[in-house]
Amino acid sequence: MRLIFKRFVAMCTVVIIATFLLSLLMRLLPGDPAAVLVPNAPDQVRDVIRQETGLSKGIFGYYWQWLSGMLTGDFGKYYLNGGYRTVASVLQRCLPPSLYLIMYSQIVALVIAIPLGLTSAYKEGSRFDRITSSVLFTTVSVPAFALGLILSLIFAVQLGWVDPIGYESPFGHPWQHFKLMILPVISLSVGLTSSYTRLLRTDVIATLKEDYVTMAASKGISNRRVLWKHVFRPSSTTLLTSAALNMGGLIGGTIIVETIFVIPGIGYEIAYSIGARQIIAMQTLIALVSFAYVFFNTAVDLLTNLTDPRTRERRG
Amino acid sequence: MADETQTMPETVTSAKKKKPVGFYIAGSWIVLILLAAVFGWALPAPQWDQSFYDSLGVSPFHHSHILGTTLDGYDMFAGLVNGARLSVFVSLSAVVVGGAIGSVIGISSAYFRGRIDILVTMAFNVMLSIPNLVLSLSLISVLAFSDENHPATTARRVGVLILSLTIVIIPILGRISRGATLQWSSREFVLASKSMGTSNFVIIRKHIIPNVAPAILAIGFLAIGSVIIVEGSLAVLGIGIPGGASWGSMLANGRGNIAYSPWEVYLPAGCIALTVISCNWFGDYVRTTLDKRESKI
Repeated sequence: MRLIFKRFVAMCTVVIIATFLLSLLMRLLPGDPAAVLVPNAPDQVRDVIRQETGLSKGIFGYYWQWLSGMLTGDFGKYYLNGGYRTVASVLQRCLPPSLYLIMYSQIVALVIAIPLGLTSAYKEGSRFDRITSSVLFTTVSVPAFALGLILSLIFAVQLGWVDPIGYESPFGHPWQHFKLMILPVISLSVGLTSSYTRLLRTDVIATLKEDYVTMAASKGISNRRVLWKHVFRPSSTTLLTSAALNMGGLIGGTIIVETIFVIPGIGYEIAYSIGARQIIAMQTLIALVSFAYVFFNTAVDLLTNLTDPRTRERRG
Repeated sequence: MADETQTMPETVTSAKKKKPVGFYIAGSWIVLILLAAVFGWALPAPQWDQSFYDSLGVSPFHHSHILGTTLDGYDMFAGLVNGARLSVFVSLSAVVVGGAIGSVIGISSAYFRGRIDILVTMAFNVMLSIPNLVLSLSLISVLAFSDENHPATTARRVGVLILSLTIVIIPILGRISRGATLQWSSREFVLASKSMGTSNFVIIRKHIIPNVAPAILAIGFLAIGSVIIVEGSLAVLGIGIPGGASWGSMLANGRGNIAYSPWEVYLPAGCIALTVISCNWFGDYVRTTLDKRESKI
């Protein structure tokens, strides 16, 4: 319990410092922030915006207003020509595509990586192992944007199997949804698959040398059972930790992939808000992303602590 | 600077007798890129920033344009050679400067511990809590702020790009060097020389840095790879270096013509991928030669 509390406090401190620096960064923009938000609006409108966002109050006042807004569900606004759109409504629309994208990529990566990693570790040094290792080493380094562009060129533009850009909801048009998601998910999951497989392989090779594995094997338990029950279970902790840590990288990756395939997700919105200089929306979106990232890290750290007794002993 | 990074892995790996084939492939690609970056201007290639209106969008292996031209008539080979210079310059300077700052902070905070160490760890955690790409994206958009009246110059954009990539690199290498130093600073020989009255500075220079350097070097190579990827990503997003002066920028320009002249995307993407693979390979080789599990990113 004390550990949970300690981690929670540490997490909140990190998030608060990060978001404060973020709003400091927004205030560093040369010129008047209100003028940046609405370049063509008259002074009265700018005054209203200054009041509304707290930009008139100095850096601490502004941050406080933004933070209390975030905590009460007021995520700020996009200021458009003559009107506004709340970030909350944009989030409602752009969160599902990103979540689907990240979820599919993780699932695809894990589904391919687990059997591949186990097999190549079990047959360490075999031809299968050497070939997978070198192929994976190459694919782990291929940047997602290069892969995405080349995939969309081959399969969407030249072969015409899927549409190159766009997004459909899985409830309205499930078939179209999956067809549009295939290429983005492949571009994101190739790198993930490689890193997961390599991680699992190293870990499993280490676990296979443990005494209890030899013991289990000598008791006559089938290889398959030993591999899944005695080897995979302890090794899966590392894999899950890395899967959670990769969430942050994936959110970065979604920016690129969503831009290339024009999927209206959170990454696309971040890129848009940066391009359109919607600093309030930008601050909120980046803050949410880093909060999610820190939250995942802390949660995984706590979970491994609770479930894996080996990590518990190391503390103190 | 170029020579230094090129010869360093040699000193680390020379202990091993037989080097794998990949070592030579990755090594020769890196050497090739460095040569192109440094001596590219001397090659008998057309001007990279000059459009050839008589040959728009010719495919590779053309008699006068060996790798073809873009739809706007720019020579691909000259562009790639010129792009190598900027890509190498940006990634090397970001990683060298960021790595140096990060290592100094990481090593000293781990060595002296105390309150500073807590602060530094906290600062690294804060910086690492924002994904790489998002962090550099927001830094660039603020620092290279431009509108119609005040467009940012290319030089300023490059400077800001390097600065923001450096800021991204600092916590990554800082955390690695901190972890490695923690491990070494409690070893017997360090404690022994401490008890003999050796000054902290001498201990760090003689005992800590030589032991920590390989881990930093290994991650440094991986960091070069990820910096090149971030540079390309930023260019694809439209806020990198404009005008096809780097690989990422060429790729971004070629995106629109992908259906007509796909080599405009293939070639820079291939260069980026090969360089990243080679750097990662080297980093991995250094790491496995040392066989340290702690040194993974």
